[in-house]
Amino acid sequence: MTPGMEMNSSIRRLFIVSVILFASLMAMLGYLQVIAADSLAENPQNTRKIYKQMRIERGLILAADRSLLAGNRLEEELYHREYPLGDLAPHLTGYSDPTYGQTGIERSLNSYLTGTADEVELVYLFDTLMGKEKRGADVRLALDPVIQKAAISQLQSIGKRGAVVVLDVNTGAVKAMVSAPSYDPNQLVANWEQLNADPGAPLLNRATQGLYTPGSSLKLITTAAALENGFQPDSSFNDENGNIVIHGNTINNWRDTPFGRHDLSEAFSQSINTTFAQVGDRLGQGSLLDYQQRFGLYEKPQLELPSGEIQASGRYLDGDLASPGDPLDPVQNAWLAIGQENMLVTPLQMAMIAQAIANEGKMMKPYLVDSIANHNGVIIRQTRPEQWKDPISPATAGQLKEMMIKVVNEGTGSRARTSLVQIAGKTGTAEIEGSGPNAWFVGFAPADSPRFAIAVVVEDSDSGGGISGPVARDTLLAALGYGPDN
Amino acid sequence: MTRPPVQARRRLAHPELHMQRNRELVSFIPVVLMMMIGFASVYAARSAHVDASSLYYSLLFVGLFLAVHLLLRLAAPHADPYLLPLTALLSAIGIMMIYRIDPELAAAQTTWLMTGLGLFLITMIFLRNYRRLDDYIYLLGLIGIALLVVTIIFGDEVNGARLWLKAGGFSIQPGEFSKVLITIFLAGYLNMNRELLSTSTRHMLKIPVPPLKHLGPLVTMWGVSLALLLLMNDLGASLLLFGIFLAMIYAATGRIIYPFIGGALFASGALLAYNLKATVQIRIETWIDPWSDSLGAGYQIVQSLFAIGDGGLFGTGLGKGYLLFASGEPIIPELHTDFIFSAIAEELGLVGATGLIVLFMLFCYRAFKIAIDSDDGFSKLLAAGLASGFALQTFVILGGVMKLIPLTGITLPFVSYGGSSIVANFVALALLLLISNRTNGERAR
Repeated sequence: MTPGMEMNSSIRRLFIVSVILFASLMAMLGYLQVIAADSLAENPQNTRKIYKQMRIERGLILAADRSLLAGNRLEEELYHREYPLGDLAPHLTGYSDPTYGQTGIERSLNSYLTGTADEVELVYLFDTLMGKEKRGADVRLALDPVIQKAAISQLQSIGKRGAVVVLDVNTGAVKAMVSAPSYDPNQLVANWEQLNADPGAPLLNRATQGLYTPGSSLKLITTAAALENGFQPDSSFNDENGNIVIHGNTINNWRDTPFGRHDLSEAFSQSINTTFAQVGDRLGQGSLLDYQQRFGLYEKPQLELPSGEIQASGRYLDGDLASPGDPLDPVQNAWLAIGQENMLVTPLQMAMIAQAIANEGKMMKPYLVDSIANHNGVIIRQTRPEQWKDPISPATAGQLKEMMIKVVNEGTGSRARTSLVQIAGKTGTAEIEGSGPNAWFVGFAPADSPRFAIAVVVEDSDSGGGISGPVARDTLLAALGYGPDN
Repeated sequence: MTRPPVQARRRLAHPELHMQRNRELVSFIPVVLMMMIGFASVYAARSAHVDASSLYYSLLFVGLFLAVHLLLRLAAPHADPYLLPLTALLSAIGIMMIYRIDPELAAAQTTWLMTGLGLFLITMIFLRNYRRLDDYIYLLGLIGIALLVVTIIFGDEVNGARLWLKAGGFSIQPGEFSKVLITIFLAGYLNMNRELLSTSTRHMLKIPVPPLKHLGPLVTMWGVSLALLLLMNDLGASLLLFGIFLAMIYAATGRIIYPFIGGALFASGALLAYNLKATVQIRIETWIDPWSDSLGAGYQIVQSLFAIGDGGLFGTGLGKGYLLFASGEPIIPELHTDFIFSAIAEELGLVGATGLIVLFMLFCYRAFKIAIDSDDGFSKLLAAGLASGFALQTFVILGGVMKLIPLTGITLPFVSYGGSSIVANFVALALLLLISNRTNGERAR
């Protein structure tokens, strides 16, 4: 026997122990790189992801006229975001900050802006071989700074919180989207605590996240339902007392004004609650709901913002969107017809309704982004206008338009009237407990060949037409190339 | 056994002689290919285009190992054919990664690699009859301990541990050499005394207990390890040295009681160190919860975990990981030495990093096989000791950077940057090859 042979079995066992040690290393490695990888990446102490992105020259965000909304500042080889136009459109661009994360377009189109989206990567593969530096793709918005600025200055001159949304009637492109109060994303880090403590919630995008009681502005939908269910603009109604008892519950007009004999068109332009409560009662819950859903309520509009920054419109119970099919009693249904009964809508939703009426009943899919161009200037994604819904017939849309013209010319929307262009619209005054009412103006211009649809809401004001009408009028005038009409 | 005539011996020896080295040569082919692809991709990632100098590095590397291969054909024709290609691959991965972190360090590492290969050849030639070492084990053991003592007295403290000795222009880590010297000493000592250590007459609570006087070496090694820990603050070297000792005494005696007593002794020593030394306390607490002080004591390990996690299944690709700040500073301090595995795991992913662990496992397999195949006690213990040390060192540092065990500063053999580590490990490799050369040579005869 060779000397030392008796040691072989213990040496074999040592090898087995070392195999166990190596196996445990592999198991730990697999755990870290597969099972724990996501939680490690999401660990708030892990700044690798954001810093890695800060080494890439982020794509620009541009307005329709190519003015720069978001650019870069290079500091110690890291790209920091800059917003040259300050508080013009922070709710659209959002911000991108290593500490506070990302919102808005910065977040929803991050993969394009950092050049990690597939169609951008493909180009880099070639460019890397050519020795070019990686750079993100530019996002060009449909936003028109002239309209945006006009809306901002209108809201600022009133000094109230609120929102304005302007859509291109033919395409659904968002030409302006304002939420007041606004903030300067360049000062985000310095003002972070203050911005979060502010009762005005400047970080909130009221245009897409703000849920407001629509009040009479919802009569656009109730009227559409009526016109397609046997009613005519000249259908006759009577209002003796300025209030009406429906199923034992009293519904009254604004300041209990009695209107006497009138037709539907008159009821619309004077916003007669008693008449619309009757209309709603006769149409029934099913028909009203049908038209609300045809106009997109109970669905989130598919805008290019992060899903968490968009709210669906509809009835809300305890802060949650109610199921559309929830049964209502006739009293609730009558209140719903005049825009009450827990109905909450976003300014974007109301602008989309106006757009559909102005566009012969065709509701377009709203969009913020006109195109995305890679770093060589080649368009890699171009938004093509798309119809989203088909809520009403062209004939109904035509009748509604006439009624909306009457609102501005003779009715509650007279403060929106201007000699320069015919504006069509509908006002709304939604009573809010504990503050002044929300003032709505929803409409479009020019009435004969509509180009821009608008929704304006002003919080804590008086009557809708009185305060929102002029905001809508001057914003639309700016959009159409006129100066403000005083 | 009657010797065959000279003529017949030649005929028998020849095919065997070429077979081992031819296997080695063939094994080099995938190594060279992987290395060239690796260097080219690192260059592409660093300078955005493939440079001719990536070729120089590869050619230099291939040239060095081919020269060593050719010399082995003469010096040790029967030696194990797989250890050298495995070593070449490990060194290539190391150099590639170090180049990716800092090209200047890679140039220095190349110099160390050449020094290591030089010392490897010197060992191969002048220690051809390595069994003569058996006659000098006490001297070698003393030198091993003396190196440690000198470091304790004259060493420079780096990162809280006293590991470095400055001599002339450059610094060396004597601990790396002590490891090899003490392994040689233990192989000789345990081979001499293993029969005495294996027999026991006394029983305590029905457990056979070795006679007290034979616990002497155990206690001495425990003392040395503890001194390393308390005086040098070097938990890694202490753990490694004591672990090698326990593995070797188990190999020599086949008695599990020694590792158990030894483990208990080490645990008590570690407990003592935990209570006496703040640095050891921090190491343990950081291991249990690095997150609560992720910018302070836990920074290295937390960043290491983030880097490894980032690698995922296939890694970010060579040169594409987030290893360096914009200033060029590595995000993880000691990235090129202790934490090189974190960088590899990030850029090569689970697939690549598991491949690296498999390479280490194959290396250990060959080393343990050399121990089992060899036909004398000293060679067996020496090979088993070197193999155990290799496995343990890999486990201690990889387990440390992955938070499997407390982190201790120690190099990853052949991969980490560091002159002392490279040179000492090449000497160990030479010893393994000499043992296998002798065993296989005897067989061929």
